Amino acid sequence: MQQELQTIIAEAKAAVQEVQDLAKLDELRVQFLGKKGSLTDMMKTLGKLSAEERPKAGQIINDAKELVQNLLNEKKRQLDEAKLAEKLAQESVDITLPGRGVDLGSLHPVTRTLNRIETLFSKAGFSVETGPEIEDNWHNFEALNIPETHPARAMHDTFYINQETVLRTHTSGVQIRTMENRQPPLRIIAPGRVYRCDSDQTHTPMFHQVEGLIVEKNASFAQLRSLLIQFLREFFEDTELQVRFRPSYFPFTEPSAEVDISTTLFGEGRWLEVLGCGMVHPQVLKNVGINPDEYTGLAFGLGVERLAMLRYNVKDLRQFFENDLRFLKQFN
Amino acid sequence: MKLSENWLRQWTNPDWNSNELAEAFSLAGLEVDSVEPVAGRFTDVVVGHVLSVEKHPDADKLNVTQVDVGASEPLQIVCGAKNVVVGMKACCAKVGAVLPGDFTIKKAKLRGVPSNGMLCSSKELGLPDDGVDGLLLLADDAPIGMDLRTYLDLNDHTIEVDLTPNRADCFSVLGLARDLHAISGAQFNIPFQEAAVITGNACSISVAVQDESACPTYLGCLVSDYNPNAKTPLWMQQRLQRSGVRPLSLIVDITNYVLLELGQPMHAFDADKLQGSVQVRYAKAGEILLTLDEKTVVLKADTLVIADDSGPIALAGVMGGLATAVSDSTRRVFFECAHFAPAAITGKARQYGLHTDSSMRFERGVDPLLPSRALNRALALLQEIAGGEVSQIVRCHSPESLPERSPLLLQRRSLLDKLGVRVADAQVEAIFTRLGFTWQATDEGWQMQPPSYRFDMQIEMDLVEEVGRIFGYNNLPEDPVMAPIALCELPESEQALMALKNALVQRGYNEVVTYSFVEEKKQQALVPDLPHVLLQNPISEEMKAMRTTLFPGLLNTIAYNQNRQQPRVRIFESGLVFYRNDQDPTGATQVPMIGGAIVGPVAASGWDEQSRQADFYDLKGDVETLLRMSHQLGKIRFTVCQHPALHPGQSAALIQNGKEVGLIGQLHPQLLKTYGVSGQIYLFQIRQDALMTMDIPSAQAISKYPEVQRDLAFVLDQAIPVQALLDAIAIPSPILRSVDIFDVYRGQGIAPDQKSVALTLKLQHQERTLEDAEVETLVEQILQAAKTAVNAVLR
Repeated sequence: MQQELQTIIAEAKAAVQEVQDLAKLDELRVQFLGKKGSLTDMMKTLGKLSAEERPKAGQIINDAKELVQNLLNEKKRQLDEAKLAEKLAQESVDITLPGRGVDLGSLHPVTRTLNRIETLFSKAGFSVETGPEIEDNWHNFEALNIPETHPARAMHDTFYINQETVLRTHTSGVQIRTMENRQPPLRIIAPGRVYRCDSDQTHTPMFHQVEGLIVEKNASFAQLRSLLIQFLREFFEDTELQVRFRPSYFPFTEPSAEVDISTTLFGEGRWLEVLGCGMVHPQVLKNVGINPDEYTGLAFGLGVERLAMLRYNVKDLRQFFENDLRFLKQFN
Repeated sequence: MKLSENWLRQWTNPDWNSNELAEAFSLAGLEVDSVEPVAGRFTDVVVGHVLSVEKHPDADKLNVTQVDVGASEPLQIVCGAKNVVVGMKACCAKVGAVLPGDFTIKKAKLRGVPSNGMLCSSKELGLPDDGVDGLLLLADDAPIGMDLRTYLDLNDHTIEVDLTPNRADCFSVLGLARDLHAISGAQFNIPFQEAAVITGNACSISVAVQDESACPTYLGCLVSDYNPNAKTPLWMQQRLQRSGVRPLSLIVDITNYVLLELGQPMHAFDADKLQGSVQVRYAKAGEILLTLDEKTVVLKADTLVIADDSGPIALAGVMGGLATAVSDSTRRVFFECAHFAPAAITGKARQYGLHTDSSMRFERGVDPLLPSRALNRALALLQEIAGGEVSQIVRCHSPESLPERSPLLLQRRSLLDKLGVRVADAQVEAIFTRLGFTWQATDEGWQMQPPSYRFDMQIEMDLVEEVGRIFGYNNLPEDPVMAPIALCELPESEQALMALKNALVQRGYNEVVTYSFVEEKKQQALVPDLPHVLLQNPISEEMKAMRTTLFPGLLNTIAYNQNRQQPRVRIFESGLVFYRNDQDPTGATQVPMIGGAIVGPVAASGWDEQSRQADFYDLKGDVETLLRMSHQLGKIRFTVCQHPALHPGQSAALIQNGKEVGLIGQLHPQLLKTYGVSGQIYLFQIRQDALMTMDIPSAQAISKYPEVQRDLAFVLDQAIPVQALLDAIAIPSPILRSVDIFDVYRGQGIAPDQKSVALTLKLQHQERTLEDAEVETLVEQILQAAKTAVNAVLR
């Protein structure tokens, strides 16, 4: 019997060694340990043995069964492992390929610039107001102290709709609309599209402005100047930015100034005009029912494209309105 | 206004170089646009006298000249200019001279003949083109050997000042010199004698003024027996040229010179061509005037003219007539020097298309005290240059009609409050004295009397500005705005446009900004029925109509990019559209919109997927994102619609509370050519106001009880929208939590004109476990409703 068992074990060892897949391995399990398996058969021969021999023989057979079972288990483990390893190997990906998903779009550089301006001022308590772009003469001109015969009217390159209405030439009309509808104190900015009948390399017939207005009981030109210097330095994130105020003329402010900036970026001694400002003309306050003896207005108007060009190194104004994707995608 | 720096410095000469002077002007509100040297840089060029001209022995085109430059020996110079002649005065660059472009003159031999210098043209000296082919001709009396820069006063600049409309007083050398005096403190002087000219007989031409408020002052004067051959002196020609005025003839040059020098427009008539008396009157409608620049003007009755007995001879304050213009044959001149009120002149130049130096000044305002001074100056110049008999001055003068400069009160407090700086009294007084004001101190400040030429001094703030301007805006202290702290509103139910924009950006859209005016015809192709607004004076036909939809701008942008190898376009824009509305005070309803368009591959780079073209549901998904963000999904409904811009089978109107608030669909294939675009283009636009209100979340308890799921597949007519089925089965029930579509199928097993729609219902009770019976009852109700409403049956 011993002999026989040794043969079976040798046979099993050889067979297990050979086997390469789980199905075959299961067949071997049946062959050796199944109901009709060779070792099970050996168990059946125990009955023929004497009572004294039986336990010992049983022990030997059981040891043999256990040995074969272990062989099978070990092989199964190996095969499982190999199978998993193969599956994992098959599942490996090229992690250098780009991920799926929508590519990112972009905000227009004008919007990006407007956001920056709006954020800076809204943090200082300014609210954002809007107004119509087809505007009546009152709000675009007359309430702003620009009567029909005023020479400044001719300088506005106005697009006319008819006798009474125009495309707004500036966002200053929103000043008037706000003051007509709200009581001071006021702190607003009014961003938006404006229109001038002028088109060449440095002018587009449509562009953007941000109007700012403060109406307070005590407000001075020095304060306006201080606010705008601070704004420009924050906008450009340049504490060294040079800012100069030049007296100028707008019918709706008195005194009036244009503001130039200069940094080493522009080259030595070059000044670039970026905004106009002034103290709201007392007549304009009267036009909207605000007492100029009680309140003072400070106002400014920023050219958005000019700021965007300087901030984002845009060389040609017209690019803003060509909407070339290769340009726009640089602002994502 | 352009002027010669040297001319200005004769009046006020601060210790500043040209650039410092320009900057000081700019920082005082008189913006200097440019400072240009009047000549190129050169040295050692002198006045030469050409003594002889002989043909070069070996060159046809060259001459050998002997030129006297005031040295002991004449210079031999080989010259190629055609206009070289014996006896002429020419510009001679001596050996060692450096001409513009760092070109040094050396001793040379030209074809074997020694040449010791060069005779120069205007171009070679960097001077304005004199129209002469060849050497620059100098006057016969030019002093031989004199340095040319000295002789022609070439160490000078042309300064161009961009004057704001309020500073009409600076439209002259006098005016700018006055302000320069105030800015710099340098002394102001009048560089000529202002003695009255000696007059003779009474003026034989009489003058009458019809409306003294339009013409408070009219001075006339007749000059005869002057030397009609007298030429305009070189210095005057130069000053005119450097101010951008072309010298014409002595009489005209003198009027232009006085205009530039003092700012007073004048006119000279040929007295022998005047018929009868001179009248300043309004035109009779339809009267005709042939102007100096040979335009025929049909006059309107509100136009002020100068007339003689034959009719209008000049458009007052704007331009003279051709018939009475001075010419070479003029022997007697009638000078006009008048003050016209701005109101009488304003708009006339524009109305008749005749913008002149004169109209520009009168529109903005000329010093009413100038006419007699200016006329006197012109007469003195004429007499000095050409002699002549000057008549007595005929004068129509109505002092009460002259504009009055009222005194203004300047409070010390206002300076501090408004400028934000304390300016010493003495400094204020010095500023106004230099500006030509007279003043009296009062308790609160000063009673200021502005000079006659400061039309812009109307209110106290104008005085405050003058102090600020001269004190220097850049010398003001930095002083933060003081206002009480107040928190800003933060309405949570208000959607931010920027949030919607950012959502689109995250979905791969690029924001565009297109012009609000579009081509009318191309827009009409999209929306033939919307009433629109047209511009009266568009830049071009392509920019004539205000947009009634964002689509034209989006489509033009697609065309632009498709033409530049960009097949995949995803863009959006926000902005107003304009519907004509005569009830609105602005004539238009102006509606903020947001819209977008997609075309081309759905993915930017699809390395592992079949590249699929974007379709209706791609765009709809993006639009639904916007609706979802604003809690409008379900509240805004997609409804089948027909729209001329869109594919009839792929278009929907967005309906909110029964009102159309947007559109989505494929561009109608017939319109591809109109816009020069290709591919299947999907477009949407939504009124922004439809997306601006959000719900503030109010949390509901989560049910602890199990959820029951039922899948139902319906078969219904192909043409019936799924939404109709969903609407039909939306039975109000506390246990029906959601209905989701998980399959839409057509094909095998389903009749050709039918489709299968599979839905998942999720059912749950808030407070207890659902019972089978109630689930079945609801499902039965749903089946019944589907059958009744859209004839859908369970598959």
